[in-house]
Amino acid sequence: MLEHLNAEEIKPQRVVIVGAGGFVGSTTARNLREKGIATIELTRNEINLLKDNAAHSLAEYIQPGDALVVISAIAPCKNSTQLVRNLQMMEVVCEVIAQKGDHLSHIVYISSDAVYADDVSLTTEESKVEPSSMHGMMHAARELMIKTAAGSTPLAILRPSLLYGIKDPHNGYGPNSFFRLVKQEQNISLFGGGEEQRDHIYVEDVAEVIAQTLLHKSKGILNIATGISVSFRAIADKIVEVAKADIKVEPTERKNPITHRHFDVTAFRKAFPNFSYTDIETGLAKVEQEYSEMV
Amino acid sequence: MSLKVGYAGLTHLGLNYAVAGASKGFDIVGYDPNPGRINDVVEPGLPEALENNKTKLHFTNQIQDLKSCDIVYIAPDVVTDDKGQSDLTYIKQMIHDVVEVLDGKTILVVLAQVPPGFTSSVKYPAANKFYQVETLVFGQAVQRALQPERFIVGCAVGEAVAPKLQEYLDAFNCPILPMGYESAELAKIAINCCLVASIGVANSLAEICEKIGADWSEIVPALRLDKRIGEYAYLKPGLGIAGGNLERDLATIVNYATEHGTDKNVIQSLRTNSAHRRNWPLKVLYEKVLSKNPQAKIAIWGLTYKENTHSLKNSPALHLLADIAGKDITAYDPVIKHLQGVVIASTALEAVKNADVLVIMTPWADFKEVDPNLVQQQMRGKVVIDPYAVLADTADFKYFTLGKEFVC
Repeated sequence: MLEHLNAEEIKPQRVVIVGAGGFVGSTTARNLREKGIATIELTRNEINLLKDNAAHSLAEYIQPGDALVVISAIAPCKNSTQLVRNLQMMEVVCEVIAQKGDHLSHIVYISSDAVYADDVSLTTEESKVEPSSMHGMMHAARELMIKTAAGSTPLAILRPSLLYGIKDPHNGYGPNSFFRLVKQEQNISLFGGGEEQRDHIYVEDVAEVIAQTLLHKSKGILNIATGISVSFRAIADKIVEVAKADIKVEPTERKNPITHRHFDVTAFRKAFPNFSYTDIETGLAKVEQEYSEMV
Repeated sequence: MSLKVGYAGLTHLGLNYAVAGASKGFDIVGYDPNPGRINDVVEPGLPEALENNKTKLHFTNQIQDLKSCDIVYIAPDVVTDDKGQSDLTYIKQMIHDVVEVLDGKTILVVLAQVPPGFTSSVKYPAANKFYQVETLVFGQAVQRALQPERFIVGCAVGEAVAPKLQEYLDAFNCPILPMGYESAELAKIAINCCLVASIGVANSLAEICEKIGADWSEIVPALRLDKRIGEYAYLKPGLGIAGGNLERDLATIVNYATEHGTDKNVIQSLRTNSAHRRNWPLKVLYEKVLSKNPQAKIAIWGLTYKENTHSLKNSPALHLLADIAGKDITAYDPVIKHLQGVVIASTALEAVKNADVLVIMTPWADFKEVDPNLVQQQMRGKVVIDPYAVLADTADFKYFTLGKEFVC
């Protein structure tokens, strides 16, 4: 649940984004710029959090009154090497927070719904953090690290569900890889019949939630999810439809049990009552439009 | 000579039991530092019972008036915080004050909602110290006090129910079950846990009904005919538990489980489910109205946590009001006429005038009397969110209720 320290929207004087070159980071940075919010956009080019002296370099960017948005991660985190590196990156961020904590007005950490157990029937912010993947464990550990480092500085932890958008670098199973297959005129191969239901979020919505969190100087934990879960089969069919593609959506023999993820978004409704998510049809149509514009 | 029975504490609990005692012909002394608070208690049949038995009822703010009683019940309502934790400060002080004016031969009965072990800790001669389970239900308190299903009486080890207490309780013509203090105190909590478990099952299955096209109201009669479940089982889906007492008992069990290392998951799940279902109106309101029209004018019928009471404790309506603060809201409740920050209409129909949506948060019988067609005429929109199915779905509403699939 988020608590807004600003009842009305107030622009932060400046936002330092760590990880501004990535999928979510770049979208967030553009969103904030469009709102007229000053940003310091730190990509791997400006700061490599795994290099010596990274903390010192990062600290030099922080000015009194800054808000800090931490998005940078090696993601998806798939093995123990990546897990350790991600924690080292967060260690640097935490060191800077410890040094500059008095200077920071607000901290926002972009985590993931992977922190929750796979078998939760209805996920809320109160659901137990019980990750079953390296990626989830990475975010769970980083949440604890940054929470400990933040102390009394207001901290918001946002846990988005599965993201989609044209710039997604992961190419994981779902809308992003389905779109790429369609664009390569390849058939979409489902896991089993694609029955699993997930809550898919358009990346622009995530950026807007981050912006709203900054504007309201919110603290606490919030899931970013629409509350409407859709099967992978339905997603694949919709993508084929919006792309007007002449390819097949093919089931395969099921190797793993079917799991679903549904969100109870009541806390989100309470936090941002006037926020409307992009529905899946509109979001996929927007991605298709972006592909068309690229051509 | 008729027994004289005292009740210390004249809020909902003490007052209703006092009236029941007077109705059975006993002389009753009702003590409270502020006896005028009896006027704040709303219960069906209470004003009539007070009037009919006024010669048997003596209300006082003088604690010494309890001295002449054969039996004194300690009966204040124990307040709880938002987490269901009891504040025992007041009852402890009241027991201290009452015991000081009694001679030790008067029978002392703790009637209030206290945790196991409390009565044992009260310093008073064990042979004359008892705990009695109260099973009042808000909205049915007078009837249940007059016609209890049974009395559960906690006694000291080796002690029986004292003859004078037995005589008083016999007047109610129901079984009396003596047991140890701790057993009796836990029996009270066990009753409430069983009730909440039934409600939790009903809520969980009603939610499934909403998703798969089943109708919980069709299933309930089948369950009631099963003797293992029973005619009076709590099977109505609702908006989670409220009122304070059930929450308190669940919190007590969770505390004991934590302290003694027993499994608390079942009870904890009931609390989680309760909190989940409390948000049902908010979810439907957003899904069906506010997501499309954030400026919608919202009418709310019912503010109390249940019908036939003035209690707002943990009321789902108040939670909803807090969650939609800032929206255009007009409320109506048969007994709540003022609520800070909320426009209160003088009639139910006035509240729905030009409303885009009506949300019925308390199943007051008054609302069943309202002609749905008149409601529709007054409203600008058609959405009716009626969790308890109070208003007949006979008009051309877009109607949403618990346990039934949303078809519009």
